[in-house]
Amino acid sequence: MYYVAKVDSDKCADYKCNMCTLYCPEANTLMFDKENNTSWVDEDRCKGCALCVYVCTDLLDRSCITMEMAQAQEA
Amino acid sequence: MSMKYITPAETFKKYLPKDYVELVDYGPFGKSQEEAGPGNMGQFKELLEEHPMCSGCWMAYFIRVIFAALPNPEETVTLGTAGCGRLAISQAAVPFIYGNYGDQNAMASGLTRAFRLRFPEKHKDVITIAGDGGTMDIGFSMTMHSWIRGEKFTTIMLDNEVYGNTGGQESGMSPQGAVLKMAPEGKKFGKMPATDLAKAAGCVYIVRLSPTNIKKAAQIIRRAIFVAREVGPTFIHAYTSCNIEYSIPTEEVFKDAKEKEKGRFSFDEYMTDAAREVIERVEAEEKAARKARKEAMKAGAM
Ligand SMILES: Cc1ncc(C[n+]2csc(CCOP(=O)(O)OP(=O)(O)O)c2C)c(N)n1
Ligand code: SF4
Ligand code: SF4
Ligand code: SF4
Repeated sequence: MYYVAKVDSDKCADYKCNMCTLYCPEANTLMFDKENNTSWVDEDRCKGCALCVYVCTDLLDRSCITMEMAQAQEA
Repeated sequence: MSMKYITPAETFKKYLPKDYVELVDYGPFGKSQEEAGPGNMGQFKELLEEHPMCSGCWMAYFIRVIFAALPNPEETVTLGTAGCGRLAISQAAVPFIYGNYGDQNAMASGLTRAFRLRFPEKHKDVITIAGDGGTMDIGFSMTMHSWIRGEKFTTIMLDNEVYGNTGGQESGMSPQGAVLKMAPEGKKFGKMPATDLAKAAGCVYIVRLSPTNIKKAAQIIRRAIFVAREVGPTFIHAYTSCNIEYSIPTEEVFKDAKEKEKGRFSFDEYMTDAAREVIERVEAEEKAARKARKEAMKAGAM
């Protein structure tokens, strides 16, 4: 098992910021949904580095992202 | 490549891989930086794809920025060499050439010349992207000769101050005293003065940076490409840490890049007068185009 990033969409939508998405080392992974104003994580691509947590929590003091155990998905 | 080769015939679209179709429909080909550039990453399909670089790798992050900043991806070719970066660069939707160790700038010299003969009517952007070992150690002579001869392409050095891909040997770019797996007593001499060497060898636009500000990093990548089209060799020396070999906890990779920015990767931009002219002209054109697009949008909304 390993950790992946999870975005609290309700909290994130208050900020409309799209900042964490700019600093993920993975491409097409931490995405921003413009209609709902929230970022979201493609869990299959996330490598669990927590760089996005640093951006959202340490740099911006918004704390919308947490690292959580990836859930095994039914095939 | 060109837009013509990238765009599939409508009838075949449904048979093509989903990732490819998404790239054509939602990728940056033929789009402006505001539509699909570093400022809105996460909102379009990127040229870079899944890659095997380590979790939290700042080099992988900077490679993502390079591809998002390309002024004309459909007319670009990248060249690289053995090292961590090529693992991601080779996974991008831009032709990538991989030769023998360290010969990226020699290949790029020939390629740039061939493009100029074959396509005199357009700009084909050639960019070498390699590690500090590939650029300043093993590929050193070819890097220097391409600069001395004034070859018109962009060289980007991904400096993680170590041979990351082969498990931690010191490089010419490791700082003095660096203790690495295969330099257990600490490196005995100092970091090579890469940007000074570039200047002495005739590069016309040179930047050293730690890419903590994505918009600034993107602007520099574009400047280096625009200047190389017209004036001469351009060089970007970027800090792209190796969290594995320097034992940086991944959540602190960004913080480390900010610290380095205050030290040996302090921002430094050099340009010749001819390079400045190109930059001022292109950026004024871009500004005018942005304004025109905004006005057209406003008119459309009314
Ligand atoms: C001729 C030759 N010698 C040695 C190697 C082994 N080799 C692969 S990558 C590498 C060094 C990579 O260091 P660097 O260029 O700094 O890139 P990094 O992996 O740190 O990004 C070496 C020596 C090789 N591939 N070819
Ligand atoms: S940095 Fe935080 S608030 Fe901003 S988009 Fe990301 S998760 Fe949302
Ligand atoms: S944990 Fe790392 S890989 Fe995963 S979304 Fe955040 S920045 Fe991207
Ligand atoms: S070894 Fe270092 S430079 Fe190479 S992918 Fe891993 S963290 Fe990045």
